[in-house]
Amino acid sequence: MEEQVGALWHRLITRAAQRGYPEAAVALADIEKTAGLLFRAFGGDPGLRIASAAAIRHGARRHWLARVAGWGEKATLACRDGETLQLPATLALLPQRELNRDLYLWLIALAAAHDQIDPAAPWLQQNQQGARIALSRFPGLQARYLRLVCATLELRIAPERLPPDEAAQEHRLRQALREPGSVVEWPAARRPLQPVALWLYPAPSPAAARSKRPDPGPNQPGGGSPAERDRQRRRAESVDLPERKNSFLLPFRADSLLSWAEFVRVNRPTDDDPEPHAARAADDMDILSVTRDGSSTASRVRFDLDLPSASEDDLPLGPGLKLPEWDYRKQTLLPDYCLVQEMLARRAAPCELPPTLRRDAQRLRRQFEILRPGHSWRRAQPDGEELDLDACVRHAADCAGGGHSYERGLYRQLARQERDLACLLLADLSLSTDAWVNNRGRVIEMIRDSLFLFAEALAVTGDRFALYGFSSRKRQHVRVQRIKGFRERYNAVVRGRINAIKPGYYTRMGAAVRYAAGVLQPQSAARRLLLLLTDGKPNDLDHYEGRYGIEDTRMALLEARRLGLHPFCVTIDQEADDYLPYLFGKDGFVLIRHPEDLPRQLLLLYTRLTRG
Amino acid sequence: MIPLEIPYYEPSGGECAIFEAAWRNRLPLLIKGPTGCGKTRFVAHMAARLGLSLHTVACHDDLSAADLVGRHLLHDGATVWCDGPLTRAVREGGVCYLDEVVEARKDTTVVLHPLADDRRVLPIERTGELLPAPPSFMLVVSYNPGYQNLLKSLKPSTRQRFLALRFGFPTPAREQAIVMGETGCDAATASQLVKLAGAFRALKEHDLDEVPSTRLLVYAAQLIHGGMDRITACRVALVEALTDDEPTAAALLEVVNASFG
Repeated sequence: MEEQVGALWHRLITRAAQRGYPEAAVALADIEKTAGLLFRAFGGDPGLRIASAAAIRHGARRHWLARVAGWGEKATLACRDGETLQLPATLALLPQRELNRDLYLWLIALAAAHDQIDPAAPWLQQNQQGARIALSRFPGLQARYLRLVCATLELRIAPERLPPDEAAQEHRLRQALREPGSVVEWPAARRPLQPVALWLYPAPSPAAARSKRPDPGPNQPGGGSPAERDRQRRRAESVDLPERKNSFLLPFRADSLLSWAEFVRVNRPTDDDPEPHAARAADDMDILSVTRDGSSTASRVRFDLDLPSASEDDLPLGPGLKLPEWDYRKQTLLPDYCLVQEMLARRAAPCELPPTLRRDAQRLRRQFEILRPGHSWRRAQPDGEELDLDACVRHAADCAGGGHSYERGLYRQLARQERDLACLLLADLSLSTDAWVNNRGRVIEMIRDSLFLFAEALAVTGDRFALYGFSSRKRQHVRVQRIKGFRERYNAVVRGRINAIKPGYYTRMGAAVRYAAGVLQPQSAARRLLLLLTDGKPNDLDHYEGRYGIEDTRMALLEARRLGLHPFCVTIDQEADDYLPYLFGKDGFVLIRHPEDLPRQLLLLYTRLTRG
Repeated sequence: MIPLEIPYYEPSGGECAIFEAAWRNRLPLLIKGPTGCGKTRFVAHMAARLGLSLHTVACHDDLSAADLVGRHLLHDGATVWCDGPLTRAVREGGVCYLDEVVEARKDTTVVLHPLADDRRVLPIERTGELLPAPPSFMLVVSYNPGYQNLLKSLKPSTRQRFLALRFGFPTPAREQAIVMGETGCDAATASQLVKLAGAFRALKEHDLDEVPSTRLLVYAAQLIHGGMDRITACRVALVEALTDDEPTAAALLEVVNASFG
């Protein structure tokens, strides 16, 4: 009975105290795409991510009902740090949907103006400055801003009902909102201001700045750890790890309880098991203490991977090919330095296209039929369907003028137009592709889907193409997987091989490029495209990393260009801008920002590269 | 033909002087830049300024050498040689401007090469004529390097015969002057349009493949000057011209709304 009454009271009082209009709510997810585009169009930093903000305890005065109900201690406010713009996940503050939507737009415009304001100014000035910049840059926002100001002011506790110090502050705030930039001095008050929904709050903690320290250790290919990002940015503070060795003696008094929010340095550097309730606990906490202990979960491993036994491994084709490698320190090509072994998947059962891709494939096939070499009129042919008028006139003119004609063919012929193009797609199958892109899939699955769709589309156009994959384990063992050779037809067997690709080993890119160039070079097409699909820098277990790997790959690509091939790189490594221009030239690569777009983007790119 | 009036052009730097120097030194010129940034207008302006006739050819993938040089035609039972635009420009000593030259068929470059280097001659195969170009003749070609395309690019042997000028979108102040000069609209509208274009151009690569050109701004300004509502004008001239994707168009329209209200 007591419990029931309690629950009833809680329901009643919360409903009475709650401010907001759930029926007019606008969710960030609904306008997410628009939000990103608007932020960038308003001049915001394109590198910033939009995330939903966590509720924070503001400590300001609340309505008496809210106090009784214990509601409204926390508010979700917009803020911005070095990496994200955090907006409330839903806005239901104002009575009309349009107003809530406008509030989002306003916060985005304000955040975009944030880059131009004086970072040293106090927070209250910053917001006024930002508002002035946004309003002068986008005068169309003025009317909406005023509507928003009126609507939000109504929700605040009126100054007459506040103690004098807070009332003075509230008066100033109202003026600052109505005429941004007009208030310079702020009177002090005992309690902080009531949350201002129209303003951006300062980045909560030094964590953002601190965690910008470069990662220790070598570059992780393709951001190898699970890229699962918590959608909600939590308040995090960076805490320096107490320097104690193997201590498990708790340094606090015996009567203090270990709580979620306190951390103890136990000698357990990395815990790989996800804590199932951690996410909920994190929501309940005001501050998460985050430390940097030097090694991240699923941190990079670099150890000798065992090769599978010969009977289990893929089928080697032939004795392998010895290829040179470029040593930039000696500036020489080391002859016969790498052994490249072409492999064929051993147990790849022929299969059909995975059902998840069927719809995409169908759509692509229709689109690519347009690319299929069409029929065109060939002029000046010795034989054909119609007279070539141009040639006939020329012929008659020559005959009349000079007595004899140079014209050979007087007909025009409808002929199939050849897209004289051969393309070899070389996919990186190193272990780094095992990393998760999002909750749904790993890099290798994106690559597999890309290969499927690429093959489906190209099979329609009739362009000659081959698919290869590569990985390596030191120079004696560079594995090139043949998925589809130029002479093979795209069929269930090839689909089976695509289905069977799996990540393994490292990325000795130079040797793989040389091998692929060797396969592509004898093709007798006018244009030969070597398309490299990768997720990171070249690296291998031995000295093949950093500059050595890059220089060797660059040399291999130069050799390929000298053979008349066109290398082009598609990467999902977000740091590719640092080194790919050096390898492929400024226009020789594209960086796919969202790996899940890879299958679609790859084809768009292919169309763009080869459009006649 | 030499127009009586010099077409309007707002210079951004030394390009007029460069064009003139190239012309005086008898060097051919390559202009590259995105669509609608004023390449064609610049050539028209310079040709008029230097008092030269201008022969413009918009290149397409079926344009052959004969289309440039000329052909025999029958007239009254006799043959008549009919000059193509390139030959006409050489004979008159004017400017021949090949727009989007990468689109033209490969055999056209053969006739351009002897004209574009120090020989400065146009061999006319059909008539056996070797036509030397007078000092006032100038060859100008343009293309848009924005598209990464393996099949369509200028051969190094061709491009290394030309001086090259890169055109970009004008600075905001200059673009505002252009929009006002072209349409006669008021400074406030022009300035706001230019700001809007700046906002859209910031979206390149993330959200838009192509960004609005100065030409599109001029269109929008023309519509506004003619009395159309500003938001509608921007929608038809800018937003819908840039994207087919509905959510993107809606978001762009939101930016337009924020600019004009």
